[in-house]
Amino acid sequence: MGLLAAGIGAGIVAVGAGIGIGLIGKGAVESIARQPEASGDIRGAMILTAAFIEGVALFGAIICIILALG
Amino acid sequence: MIKFFTFLSLFIVVFLLGQPTVLAADADTESNSPIDIMGTVADHDYFTFFGTKLYLPRLFLWQDDNGSTQFSTYGSTKKALASGNFEQIDYVITPVKGSMLIDFSLTSHLLYFWFGLGALALFTMYAGSRYKKGIGTSTAPKGVLQNLFEVFYEFIRDEVAKPNIEGDKHKKYVPYLFTMFMSIAFMNIFGLLPYAATATADITVTAVLASFTFFVTQFSGTKDHWQHVFWFPGVPLGVKFLMIPVELIGLFTKPFALAIRLFANMMSGKIMIIAILGLIFIFNEMYGSIAAYGVSIFSVVVTSILYILKLLVAILQAYIFSLLSAVFIGMAVEEHEHDHDHEEHIHADLSV
Repeated sequence: MGLLAAGIGAGIVAVGAGIGIGLIGKGAVESIARQPEASGDIRGAMILTAAFIEGVALFGAIICIILALG
Repeated sequence: MIKFFTFLSLFIVVFLLGQPTVLAADADTESNSPIDIMGTVADHDYFTFFGTKLYLPRLFLWQDDNGSTQFSTYGSTKKALASGNFEQIDYVITPVKGSMLIDFSLTSHLLYFWFGLGALALFTMYAGSRYKKGIGTSTAPKGVLQNLFEVFYEFIRDEVAKPNIEGDKHKKYVPYLFTMFMSIAFMNIFGLLPYAATATADITVTAVLASFTFFVTQFSGTKDHWQHVFWFPGVPLGVKFLMIPVELIGLFTKPFALAIRLFANMMSGKIMIIAILGLIFIFNEMYGSIAAYGVSIFSVVVTSILYILKLLVAILQAYIFSLLSAVFIGMAVEEHEHDHDHEEHIHADLSV
C-alpha cells in the first residue's frame, strides 16, 4: 500500500512540477522573444522561480521515498 | 595564531588519515538482487581508490558501564568489532556495555566533503598568491586557473550578489557566496569521477551547508527583518499575532528547502545512472547474456547523455544554492522606509 501511494504520489508531483516549470519556460521564452536585450535578467528570474517549484516537487519526492522505504 | 591552527589541522589530517588499512573484498556480497542501488548511494566506512577499498578509521567517544568517558580509535570497523568492546546492529556500531556519546568516525562522504573544501582552498590560495605578486591587479590576469577564478568570482559578484543584496552591503557577502558556490561545485564534480562518492548526495552534508546560510542570514538580519518576523507591519492587530508562527516557520523552511533541494538533485542523478546501468545486470540475470548485450548499448548511450546533464546540474545546483542564499540574505539585510504606508512591503514569502 505504501509503495502504491509512493508511486502515485511521485507521479502527481512530477505532473505538478512539469506544468509549473513548463509555464515558466513559456513565459520566459515569450518575454525573451519580445525583448531580447533583457534575456540575461529573464534567465536569472526563470532559474530562480524554477528552483522554487523544484523545491516543492522535491519535498513531495522525499515524502514518496520515505513512504516507499519505510 | 594562524600558524597554530594550520599545524593543528595538519596534525588532525595526518593523524586521522595515517591509519587506513587495506583489506580484501567485502564479506557481505550475499545479496540476492544483482545490483544494490541504495547501498551504492549510501555512506560507507571505506574509501574506494581504483577499486580497492581503503577502510577508514573509527573514532568513538563512549561511556562504559562504570560511567567513565572513553575515547577509542580503531583502524577499521573490523578492528573495532574484534576488540570486543563494540557490536554492530544494522550498520550502527554501539558499545557492548555502556552507551555511545559521539561517533566521530570518518566516512567516505566526509572525506569527499574535505576534498571539495581542499580543492577550494588550493584554488583560492593559488589565485591569492598570484594577486599578491601583482599579477591581475597591476597587469592582466595570467594563466588558465587565474582566469577561471576571475570568471567565477565576477559571476558570483555581478550575477548573484549585486542584484539580490541591496546597496554596498553585497560586498560583505561575496566571499561567503563564492565559498559556497565553489565548494558545492567541487563536491558535485568530484562525485562524477569514477569510484567517487558525492558528498552532496548526503543529507547531513547539505544540512550543514544550509545551516551556514541560516546563521549568516539571521546574524546579518536588520531591525526590519526581525520586525517582519515578530510584528508584521501594515496588517491588523489580530493578523500580526497570526503572522508570528507563520514567519517563524518561514525562517526554518528556507534553509530546509535549500538542503533538501541540493540533496535530492544530486541523489536522484546518482540513482538514475546506477539504475540505468543496473538494467544490464538485471537483464543478464533474467533473460541471459544476449539480452544484456542488447540493453548495454541503450544503457551506455543514455548514461553518457545523463553524465553530460549531471555536469550541467552540478554547476547549476551550486549556482542555485548560492543564488538562493543571496536572496535570503538580501531579504534579511533589507532596510525599508517606514514613513509611507506598507502596501509594497507585503511581499510574497519566498520560502520554498
